[in-house]
Amino acid sequence: MTDTLWSLITTPWALQSDTLLGAAVLALLAALLGEVVWRTLRWPRMLGYTLVGTVIALASRGASGHEPALRLAVDGALALLLFEAGARLNLRWLARNPWLLATSIAEAALAGVVVWLVLRSMAVAPGVATPLAIIAVGVSPAVLQRVVGELHAAGQVTERLLTLATLNTLYAVLAMKLFSAGLLLSDPGTWLEAMSPVLFSFCGSILVGAALGEGLALIARRFDLREDNAMVLLLAAVLMALVIAKTLQLSALLVPLLAGIWLRNRSERPWIWPRHFGSAGGVLVLALFVAVASAWRLDTIGASIGIAVALVLARAGAKALAVLVLARPSGLGLGQALCLGTALLPMSATAWVLALDFSARHPTAGAHLMPVLLSCLALLELAAPLVVMASLRAAGEIDVQRKRRAS
Amino acid sequence: MSLDNFASSKAFTLGVELELQIVNRHDYDLAPGAADLLRLTSRRKLAADVKPEITSSMIELSTGICQGHHDVITQLLEVRDALVHDAAKLNLRLCGGGTHAFQDWSHRRIFDTPRFRQVSELYGYLSKQFTVFGQHVHIGCTGPDQALWLLHAMSRFVPHVIALSASSPFVQGTDTGFQSARLNSVFAFPLSGRAPFALTWQEFGIYFDKMRRTGVVESMKDFYWDIRPKPEFGTIEVRVMDTPLTIERAAAIAAYLQCVARWLVLERPFEPHEDDYLAYTYNRFQACRFGLDGEVVDPRTAEHRPLRDLIAQTIKDVESHAIELRAERGLALLREALTIADGSDAAWLRNTQATEQYLPEVVRQQCLRFEGG
Repeated sequence: MTDTLWSLITTPWALQSDTLLGAAVLALLAALLGEVVWRTLRWPRMLGYTLVGTVIALASRGASGHEPALRLAVDGALALLLFEAGARLNLRWLARNPWLLATSIAEAALAGVVVWLVLRSMAVAPGVATPLAIIAVGVSPAVLQRVVGELHAAGQVTERLLTLATLNTLYAVLAMKLFSAGLLLSDPGTWLEAMSPVLFSFCGSILVGAALGEGLALIARRFDLREDNAMVLLLAAVLMALVIAKTLQLSALLVPLLAGIWLRNRSERPWIWPRHFGSAGGVLVLALFVAVASAWRLDTIGASIGIAVALVLARAGAKALAVLVLARPSGLGLGQALCLGTALLPMSATAWVLALDFSARHPTAGAHLMPVLLSCLALLELAAPLVVMASLRAAGEIDVQRKRRAS
Repeated sequence: MSLDNFASSKAFTLGVELELQIVNRHDYDLAPGAADLLRLTSRRKLAADVKPEITSSMIELSTGICQGHHDVITQLLEVRDALVHDAAKLNLRLCGGGTHAFQDWSHRRIFDTPRFRQVSELYGYLSKQFTVFGQHVHIGCTGPDQALWLLHAMSRFVPHVIALSASSPFVQGTDTGFQSARLNSVFAFPLSGRAPFALTWQEFGIYFDKMRRTGVVESMKDFYWDIRPKPEFGTIEVRVMDTPLTIERAAAIAAYLQCVARWLVLERPFEPHEDDYLAYTYNRFQACRFGLDGEVVDPRTAEHRPLRDLIAQTIKDVESHAIELRAERGLALLREALTIADGSDAAWLRNTQATEQYLPEVVRQQCLRFEGG
């Protein structure tokens, strides 16, 4: 860690993404390209960031996920986005509309099972198919947050999209923990040895998440959230929780997600946060989208693209089907359900981080899993946000008036 | 289109329309949920009707023809409970109040029907700024001349019901100082204000034809008057009220208007004159700005009197009619509001903001109040 930071300063002129120069150039390009796609095409700016990442990937200079400074930015950004996702999840809604909860469970379960079956039918080993299927359950809240936020989408489809994505990400993270524990269990060793870190991780994440949620509520009540100073405080609190999570080997995904959910649901009082906690958070999020988009590799994509296409199609089909079948009882029109079903597409940072963490613990299975997952990310990184945008537009939930005014 | 014939309806029958705010449960800003809500409520059988309004974050409910306060409150409570239930399914919430406390009017979407689009094109930003929420009360009249007579006789009670219903102190996130800031948006429309002084349908028809020849209006719908005749229903429609925060208050105000109408028509305590309108806009301003604490002028006697006293006096004047119409419960609610230092919904909103210092939380409590919780 110290070495890396040191190298940031000592080798400032090496044009790599992990140096100061590299980071500055990338930020410059991403921000400019983001503005270009917004002004010319009215696409979300995050697509500009993703494009920069794609170009890096094509040049085979992409992130491996093992660069410490970059990983820190990724974890930080993801923490902010997951916190925001959690803070929009209204658990009382699931109680008031049980069919929505049913939809959530059905789309997650069906996607997992169908993806697993498809992977198995393509002779993917169970030790690889299962974690891939679990990762495929989650829909990226990061991408959805950005697209929804940038396009000012609002309405039933938007609301349900964010809710389902937050829930299935939660399922995926939890299932991945359990699966990892199971894998360790089948290795030589004792039951206690395998389960205790999982239990510790669960309970610890909940505790730290709740503590963070309480802390943020306290800040929000005492400080004026329109002030930059309060934003710094919030940002610091989230990063602090991240540090605690990392030190105690808790889930860096679970803690912010649970903190958000805790905060939203501890009382009915509404909380409004500036997006990504202001501009500092915005920089982290930009870095996240560039990094994730650059993660795939040209040299391995050929061998895994077939499986990846099958996975993506199976996943999309399963999720759309579940949403369509349960549309009417959950109070959704058929057209809306179609839009919602197709919008459940993005796979991004959460999937990447889950896969990285899995590979770190299980290198053998990870070596087979990683190429497929990266190919999925390559397939979806540009397409998925566009599909989400088109779906929300078809659902009539993007403000056309505002678009006209802005141009 | 020329002026419709005036349909006759049973005297003093009542109809109430309420425009409601649809808000989300995340930050309690207005939410575009009208179409979703209508889809769910269309599966139900209700005595009252639910309709879309000009922006997609607004919904209008209207009672059928009611005999009195009891009918109104029964129908309104039924439709409210149904709507609240359906909204919960959609993660939405409903509330009363004449304005949304902090919504940004430039974000509102126009509900997609030809008439609303046409209105939106003509009035531009006014139609979005018109994201305000009112209560309309229809009073049945046996014929057009009675309707016009009543319309003008009622004009001096306009400040009363403005003050009783005032629930829009906040606009776009700031305290306007007004009890009903909503009416300031309404006055921006070119054809708002008072109706021309015509006491017979024939006279009114001449005015209407002249206006139509100018091309300024096509139908009665183009007039945004405080009280206007509604020929197809056979009613006059009082349109100055904010949507109150509770169904009970809305029903009570309807009952007040019904009692006043019956008193005016049957007892004829005075005859309307053009000069009644000399202080009309001043009085209306007093009611909007200061609510029950406003002071209005009687143009005939030049006497200044607090609205609070005038309303209390009127409730006494119409007492026998209230008994006849079985409206005592409604009037009792209003009488009680008069005795509280500031019994208006606007004051409740200001007090809530004073404790919470957070407008989204005020809107949330407004929802609770509307739901009857």
